[in-house]
Amino acid sequence: MTLFITYALTAGILVGLSRQLNGRLALSTSPLIASFFNHAIGFVFLTILGLILGNLLLPGASSTPWWAYLGGPVGVIFVASGSWLIARIGAVNTALLVIGGQMVSGVALDLARGAPLTLWASALGVVLILAGMALTQKRR
Amino acid sequence: MSSPDAPQPNPLHLLAAFGSGGLLTMMVFLNGEAGSHGGALFSSWLAHGTGTVAAIIFLAVLWRRRPATGETRAKAPLWAYLGGVSGAATVMLTSTTVNTPLALAGTLALGLAGQVVFSLAADQWGFFGLPKRRLGLRDAGAVALMVVGSLLIILFGVGASA
Repeated sequence: MTLFITYALTAGILVGLSRQLNGRLALSTSPLIASFFNHAIGFVFLTILGLILGNLLLPGASSTPWWAYLGGPVGVIFVASGSWLIARIGAVNTALLVIGGQMVSGVALDLARGAPLTLWASALGVVLILAGMALTQKRR
Repeated sequence: MSSPDAPQPNPLHLLAAFGSGGLLTMMVFLNGEAGSHGGALFSSWLAHGTGTVAAIIFLAVLWRRRPATGETRAKAPLWAYLGGVSGAATVMLTSTTVNTPLALAGTLALGLAGQVVFSLAADQWGFFGLPKRRLGLRDAGAVALMVVGSLLIILFGVGASA
């Protein structure tokens, strides 16, 4: 269990590391070029890994609906925007606002499609996130 | 530390970051659909592949010659190109941990903790050539509110009653 906790913590650190590296690359190139390299090099890395492990294309893969292919293009915009923002508002603001936006939109999505949701916790969470955003904006 | 407090961030930049979290929700949903058909490795591989093609198209559409201002930007160090490896490794770790007793909620909560610790250190010391930002008490309060709010949603809000 300690191993898996370490895995999950490391995953969070790697998200930050990735954004930091892409942000640095964007300074020398552009956010969109940084996003291109992020995807292209990640693709090469995953292709090699998949060939070694031999489980890249499982039988169900071909039944993936076409619209699920759009995750990549959305990711290009996401990585480019993060690479642009991190040099302007810093790593902490970028990380927390992205997470906050993910949480609030996730709650909205679940509400919209009638997924199970504990309303008091979700609502209070949204309020706290918005309060945190307001606090970064308050004049010193 | 002699560096001044971080400047007031532009509210439009903060809104853009918040909005990009919505893109992340969309990505998780779309990539999750691909993963339910072909597994986590296929899903990440597919997203990186279609993303590469999309980036080339975006670049081709938006391409324009940089005006010759005489300003030359420093070349990026080679390690700056490794963000994609770090991102791909993330998927391997999280697709493992969601299938342990940690489940999705534990994976998200611990990932949030990892991101907060890393980004605090990154701003404090200006990791990898990005600007240093010294955070004040108000920033610390904002971080605390957003962390607690996100943890409430992850641990007690979404899917907890399922």
